Amino acid sequence: MVAFIRRTIESLVDFFLPDSYFAWQTVIYMSLFSWLMSLLARVLGTTAFTVGVMATLSWIMLALGTGWGLEANRIRPFGIPIAPWVAGGILCLFMFGSWGGEWLQPALTAWPLVSFGVVAVPNLISWDFRPKQPAPSVRQQLVLLFFLSLLISSWFQFYFRIQAWIQDYPSLVTDNFSQSAFVYRLPGQSTQLSTGVTHLSMAEIIMREQMDGKPWSSVERWLLNEQGQRQTLQREVQNRMANQPSLENDLWQVDFQPFTSGDGYDIKIWAIWSGPTAEATGYYLEKSCSLMPVTQGARYDTSTDMEDQPFASTRWANLTCQLDTPRQAGHPARYTNRQS
Amino acid sequence: MPLQDLFVNLGIMPLRAIAFQSLLLMVAISLEALVLRQRMRLGYQTSMQYAATLNLLATSLGWVIFLIAESMLPPPLRSQIISVVLFNRFYPNGWFDMLPVLTVVSAMGVFFATYWVKLQGLIWLMVLLGRAPATAATESESRHQRYEIARRGKPAQRQDHSSRTLAVLEANALSFTAILILLLLHQGAITL
Repeated sequence: MVAFIRRTIESLVDFFLPDSYFAWQTVIYMSLFSWLMSLLARVLGTTAFTVGVMATLSWIMLALGTGWGLEANRIRPFGIPIAPWVAGGILCLFMFGSWGGEWLQPALTAWPLVSFGVVAVPNLISWDFRPKQPAPSVRQQLVLLFFLSLLISSWFQFYFRIQAWIQDYPSLVTDNFSQSAFVYRLPGQSTQLSTGVTHLSMAEIIMREQMDGKPWSSVERWLLNEQGQRQTLQREVQNRMANQPSLENDLWQVDFQPFTSGDGYDIKIWAIWSGPTAEATGYYLEKSCSLMPVTQGARYDTSTDMEDQPFASTRWANLTCQLDTPRQAGHPARYTNRQS
Repeated sequence: MPLQDLFVNLGIMPLRAIAFQSLLLMVAISLEALVLRQRMRLGYQTSMQYAATLNLLATSLGWVIFLIAESMLPPPLRSQIISVVLFNRFYPNGWFDMLPVLTVVSAMGVFFATYWVKLQGLIWLMVLLGRAPATAATESESRHQRYEIARRGKPAQRQDHSSRTLAVLEANALSFTAILILLLLHQGAITL
């Protein structure tokens, strides 16, 4: 038991206090020391420059020490020397992490290139900062490594480019990517509402303003000029969507069609997507509304000016819409079961 | 769950592109190494290294050009690229009729651009590795070399040049054919 503890302590001491000063532990200690000094400098209220120099030194030492430590202990998962990657990652964290905001994209994009730099600099510059020429085989390895890191950096950048596309065209997320040869969606992600739903709600609001609570006869007149109303509706939706500017707005087109049903009408409002989609024939979102005549008494029970209304039999329009907006493939069938 | 949150925030990832590109690169590198080894009489390892360097050069350069060009294209064309990347198809808009022609023309352009890049890359690589007979010879033609030129009637270097040019052209054609076949097979597998 005692022997075990002694051996543990000895190996710990060996780990923390190496035999030679020329070891990775020294660099880590220098990094810690530099960091403490930067803290001390901050407490003492020195200039920001002093604190910055101390912190920068500390970060660089940390990167160097970690890389050296990993390499010295031959930590190579799957045979890949990860030391330059870890050191490059620490350097990138330091360089871009202090930016705040959108730092992840430049940091990840620069990571492979910085890691390449970590490998290349000791080969290209000697200890006294003079350029040196490595052997041809090393040069070949460095060239290969450079293009490989450029390729990996491009992959990261491609990832961020896809995220930018989705920012520009948010409705793409709701689609299905199983056909794609490029992208894969990790399972378990919730799909959000399409922007088309906003267009549909906007169209519903406009139609409500035009028809709901208006006399039935004027509503029927409104419906007579269907083609004109359709254009007005499209223009009006585009106008109101202009305060949420998005590249996607031009790709949604709103349309509607009344179908007679009993005393009143079933109105279908559609948001038709004309952008990229997995569906060969495109798709549209549909909102079902019903436009029914109600007699004045039933509708305006609590109205104060009820006794002023001379015609008790006047009928008013009542527009009710369903909340769900099912997505359907193809193009809306405007002229089927139309009775006019 | 934090891991779940991370997955949700990651969004859509180009994992298939990375996997497929790695595969195509390996196929292209091994095929081109074969051609370079036979045509230029290189060693096994050397030809492999040359082919890997040239293909990685062309691929990473292609990515850089794509990423720059994509951000400068007009929105209708850009959304067609998005459509191909995300859904593997073009969608009908103003450019729809021109796209097949545009695709074929740009594919041919890419072939010749890749060929040029690989040839230049090979010359630079040989200079960098100190195995460049071309520059060394033009700077100081030795007496023996001048004698050789006079005796054979044509410079030995030129022959070396043309064999290199032909080797890169053949290698590029072979790897493009293989990649095209693989892409068509992949396309067939997706749509079937």
